[in-house]
Amino acid sequence: MKAEFKAKKLEILKMHIDVIREAFKQAFAPDRVTVEYPRERKKFPPNFRGLIFCEREKCISCFRCAHICPANAIQIYFHDKAWPGIDYTKCIFCHFCVDSCPTGALRATKIHDVAFATMDEMKLRATQTTKPPEVFREDSVTVDYSVDERGWSLVRVKERDELVVEAPPPRLKRRVSYCADPESCLGCRLCVEYCPSDAISVDRKANKLRILEEKCTGCGICVRNCPMKVLELREVR
Amino acid sequence: MQEWKIVLPEKKHKKKFFGNLLEEVIKPGICSHCTACAAICPVKGITAGDKPIDFPNWLRDCVDCGACVKVCPRWEYKPLNGVGRYIEAFSARSKRFRGQDGAMVTEFTATALEEGIVEKAIFVARDEEWRTRVVTISNVEQLKSEKVAGTKYSFADVLPAVKEAVLDANAVAFVGTPCMISALRKMQRSFKKFERVKLAIGLFCTENFYHSQLSEFLSKKGVAMKDVLKTDIKKGKFIVKKADGEVIFPVKELDEIIPSGCKVCQDFSAVESDVSVGSVGSEGGFSTVLVRSDVAKRVADLIRAKGNAEFKDASIEAVKKLCDYKVKIHPYNR
Repeated sequence: MKAEFKAKKLEILKMHIDVIREAFKQAFAPDRVTVEYPRERKKFPPNFRGLIFCEREKCISCFRCAHICPANAIQIYFHDKAWPGIDYTKCIFCHFCVDSCPTGALRATKIHDVAFATMDEMKLRATQTTKPPEVFREDSVTVDYSVDERGWSLVRVKERDELVVEAPPPRLKRRVSYCADPESCLGCRLCVEYCPSDAISVDRKANKLRILEEKCTGCGICVRNCPMKVLELREVR
Repeated sequence: MQEWKIVLPEKKHKKKFFGNLLEEVIKPGICSHCTACAAICPVKGITAGDKPIDFPNWLRDCVDCGACVKVCPRWEYKPLNGVGRYIEAFSARSKRFRGQDGAMVTEFTATALEEGIVEKAIFVARDEEWRTRVVTISNVEQLKSEKVAGTKYSFADVLPAVKEAVLDANAVAFVGTPCMISALRKMQRSFKKFERVKLAIGLFCTENFYHSQLSEFLSKKGVAMKDVLKTDIKKGKFIVKKADGEVIFPVKELDEIIPSGCKVCQDFSAVESDVSVGSVGSEGGFSTVLVRSDVAKRVADLIRAKGNAEFKDASIEAVKKLCDYKVKIHPYNR
């Protein structure tokens, strides 16, 4: 009876030691999985689908973002040119607009934690999408997953993750409008009317249409509107 | 810098080009309702359908490009007539399809589709009320399922559908009346892209009607359009077949509803087509086929080689007689 009690006591003591050891381990080298946002921030991949902003110098007003948006969240505002504004009440963050942008003017950020006070504030006008959204940051630690054959763990690095990454090089070369089949041209001059940068002009005396490659931004509005589909975008060098 | 020339036709009135078309073609009543202008109009302002050609708001919306004038078969109209040139003529009946007579239009299109000579074909189908509906056909199964066979005797907007097909297919076939074939040739001469129409099947034609006027006329005769099984013109008689018998009356009675544009047309056998098909010159159940171009000849040889049709000799004399008759009843001097 006494020996039995002694063995049990030893077992309890062993359990206590285990608990104390775990407490020390967690105090000095914790392995918790909770990311303590906002003091910590999860590291997102560079192409994370966050809020979108538009670099005006690169934008060629081609409307592709507005055309492709499945949620109809992009509204074009006309100032000197046509610029995209984004309605975040509708945006589903698919980033089709970013992917479709031929010049890389629309850029993704890793910012996804923006608070808006009202629904109206979520409708960003074209003037409000020119810069990445401002966020108040309390974080000083970046958390990332580390996966190897033993399993996965969280790695904490004491540095701030940059939320606006460097723009990737545009996937497309510079393209300009080109008439592939002048013999089928109706002569309707709709391309001249549609061109936002006056690259296509008409000479009414000689009855000639002219495309100036230097002025053409490659927006493709003429290509989309040509009733005979004789215009196309062609890469230059 | 790229530069290209645009060719503008000569204006006859100091107006936009549609105004010229209005003065020269539509107002004098020689418009054939071929819908070529509606097809080519870059702003899609010209309307056709079951009413005369019109462009509401043309003063404002017309972009003055002259395309409608370039393609109009009645601009500077010189009537075509006669049987025209042909490589071979025969009378035939399809073994696979059933149609107005020998279903040779369907057979030609089916063979061209099967052999990859054309990718798409534009046909005119109908609904219960015999209203026309333009269908784009891309495989032979569709030819069997859609109600494409049989003559409708009503206008249809075929050429706008041809233009759409030309923009996204490389080889197109279509079936049309002689005025549409002439319009297509004018389109091909002005705009190179229309050379993608490889097979233009012309129909023997004396006149065509507005659906509303034809149904009104027939209802006066006591025929409801939805009871009609088949319409036909044979030997100067308009024949309406119904489930419970036939209504027959002379074509002359239809004179009041024949559109004025048809009354100046002398082209019975679609002389500019690749192949012309009609019932005149063949016995019942057979179609007369006039093969005029090399493409059509190739298709005809394929039909013969596959044995998909029965062949006989056609009576060209009968076709000639009707060609001459059409010139006689539709005089045009200007």
